[in-house]
Amino acid sequence: MLRKLAYPLLFLLLFPSLHGAAETTPYRDELKESATKLRLPDDRYWHVLLHYKRGLFGTESLVDDPKFFLSPDGRNDPSAELDAAIDGLFADGEKEQAIPRCRFPARYDWLVRRLSVDLTRLPEVSCPILEEQRNRIDAKSASLIFASGHMNSPASMFGHTFLRFDSSYESPLLSYAVNYAARIDRKDNGLVYAAKGIFGLYPGYFSILPYYEKVKEYGNMDQRDLWEYRLNFTEEEVQRMVLHVLELQGIYSDYFFFKENCSYDLLFVLEIGAPAAKLTDRFRLFTIPIDTVKAVRAEGLISEPVFRSSQARKIRHIASSLGDADIARARSVLDNAVAPEKILAADIPDTEKGKILDLASETVQLRYAKGQYTKEEYRKRFLTVLSARSTIPASESVLRPVPAPEPPESGHESSRVALAVGIREEDSFLEVSGRPAYHDLLDADAGFTPGSQIEFSRAAVRYYPDTGRIRLQEWDLVHILSLAGRNDFFRPVSWKFRTGFATKPFPGGSDALVFFLNPGGGMAWDIRPLGLVYVLLETEVDVAGRYNPDYTAGVGLSAGILRQMTRSWKTLLAARQMAGVLGDENRGREFSAILRQGISISRRRAIFLDIGRTVSPGLHYNEGKFSVNFYF
Amino acid sequence: MKRILGIFALTLIFASTSFAADMGLARTNTGCGLGTMLFEGGSANNSSLLQAFQATTNGTSGAQTFGISSGTSECTQPEKFVQNERLNEFVYANLDTLAKDIAQGRGESVRTLAELMQVAPEKREAFYRNLQTHFAEIFPRENVEYAQVVDTIVTLSS
Repeated sequence: MLRKLAYPLLFLLLFPSLHGAAETTPYRDELKESATKLRLPDDRYWHVLLHYKRGLFGTESLVDDPKFFLSPDGRNDPSAELDAAIDGLFADGEKEQAIPRCRFPARYDWLVRRLSVDLTRLPEVSCPILEEQRNRIDAKSASLIFASGHMNSPASMFGHTFLRFDSSYESPLLSYAVNYAARIDRKDNGLVYAAKGIFGLYPGYFSILPYYEKVKEYGNMDQRDLWEYRLNFTEEEVQRMVLHVLELQGIYSDYFFFKENCSYDLLFVLEIGAPAAKLTDRFRLFTIPIDTVKAVRAEGLISEPVFRSSQARKIRHIASSLGDADIARARSVLDNAVAPEKILAADIPDTEKGKILDLASETVQLRYAKGQYTKEEYRKRFLTVLSARSTIPASESVLRPVPAPEPPESGHESSRVALAVGIREEDSFLEVSGRPAYHDLLDADAGFTPGSQIEFSRAAVRYYPDTGRIRLQEWDLVHILSLAGRNDFFRPVSWKFRTGFATKPFPGGSDALVFFLNPGGGMAWDIRPLGLVYVLLETEVDVAGRYNPDYTAGVGLSAGILRQMTRSWKTLLAARQMAGVLGDENRGREFSAILRQGISISRRRAIFLDIGRTVSPGLHYNEGKFSVNFYF
Repeated sequence: MKRILGIFALTLIFASTSFAADMGLARTNTGCGLGTMLFEGGSANNSSLLQAFQATTNGTSGAQTFGISSGTSECTQPEKFVQNERLNEFVYANLDTLAKDIAQGRGESVRTLAELMQVAPEKREAFYRNLQTHFAEIFPRENVEYAQVVDTIVTLSS
């Protein structure tokens, strides 16, 4: 039935022209006239198609590639571009890529509908490549896919979104995925990379690949879970999105890390399907992938997601269903101490043998992906384990599906403001703080990676009513913390990176604003029933005029326990000892201990209670603070 | 001693901000057998601030653009089922997962295989069992290539 759905585009391509060139000019003018009458240059859909946004300097398209526009002024002038598009209706030629109607099918699909173009009065064109691509994609419906953060990389914690065009195949693996990403230069080093990413110096391109490639990339390679949200679009709407993706083939837009990123540009494609949902307008300064999922949900375009576990989660799941003896068996296979066939001879049920070998084969794959085996080594290990595994009937090894964690969109909102009252020694204070993004160690974990923190630009201003002092207490430009538990199968490194400004007290009751840079690395273990226990080796450089000389550099240790007390209550107990080694060594010496409680009340509210003590030469103080957090 | 500690401290700072310079972008997929389509030199292991930027640009390095039909052309082609392009591409790109699922006698990749080979739903259980029992024939050597895997599977199920 669906195949019979005829799109205007097809008519446009198939109908022969019955009229000569002489007659096209009046028809062209007629069309332009009705376009003006219908105010098409101001039509929202036209602006979505061309990615127009109103900015400081008038209307401008966010697409930077001149190839995307038919008019030389098209990037800034919707009306000139529409004019050129109407001219383009009358163009034909030999090369498909040079024929506007083939090159920009979504644009023309809309234009023909809106202007009720009489296709018999246009030149005959055919677009075989376009048709072949559409047939191959064979889109019936579409899904929005969210790739969660990697468990030990808050770097990827913001997540990622892409689109899947679901085909008539039953297996979603065979559908095509549409991804928007920056095309980076392999030669660039980290700093250049970061700078170019932030300032839009990399071009962003859409790509289209089979979904199985994305599953391998995210699920197996990067160990990120995937959440698949079916979009409730009609087939016709999905087909329009396909056309738009095809017209963006080979077209670049400057990629901006914070706003015009992977998730933002995808919203334009979604708006093609659902123009009433003003998705792109919701994001002005920065676009966090999970927030786009929330926006799409708020527009009522998606329902409950399907969860696709990463390989790492699967490994943990299999391991959790096995006893210590069986885990040891799997380990001995991995260590090459026991041949996989020996597992078959063990006096245990077939179900357990199957799980042991599954645990081994998954781990062999994961280790290979991490570069721990050569290809030859991997092939040998992988195949010997699988040969043994193939002798156990499938019915004998039914594994429960991997349980899905809380879906990412159920988590707290990314931005947060907090109002706090507190006391430092005898001085009481009021504090206002806020951060645009993203997650604090003490914020509720639902939908986020447990043991992780990534905060950008968190600022706190403090007011001491007794003395009338107002201080910029802290301004964390970046504060990342990644605590990942080590076990038999995973040995991740835990680390932190924090930099920004803070007001630090000096002996004699004065204080000064200090710039600090504080990285660290170490390890963490999930020790039941204590919680996540970590130790980090840290270094810190502080710069301020008050130091003599102007800085102090220290090295030290920090350790702590993070514990989930109940579903909504978390506790962190941490201590840190630093020793000054360069610069103002005396001031670099500092001990601090803190006990933090975080109680989440809802997705939008939480209360924190922090109690701490700090000791440094000539100075010591206790501090307590109670804060109410609002997420939005 | 202090000086040594100081140098140590500064080294740590530099190390932690620069060890993302060699970011795992060397993702190669050459070859036609097992272990070829798993990318090598993963990006997920390194971690540092700068990787934060890498991860969110989701950088690709050119090769991955419009892969509407992915190339199996550098490999020997299967003899018996050459006309089924989607099947060839799927087996080529999912050889490792398929090996795992065939050995287990179940899984999404063997279900997909059955669909691509148009195995009737009621015959699928038998199809999976058949593949599982013949695992050693389908993957006889470590360097077996995808074309041979396709050929064996087609022979086994005809």
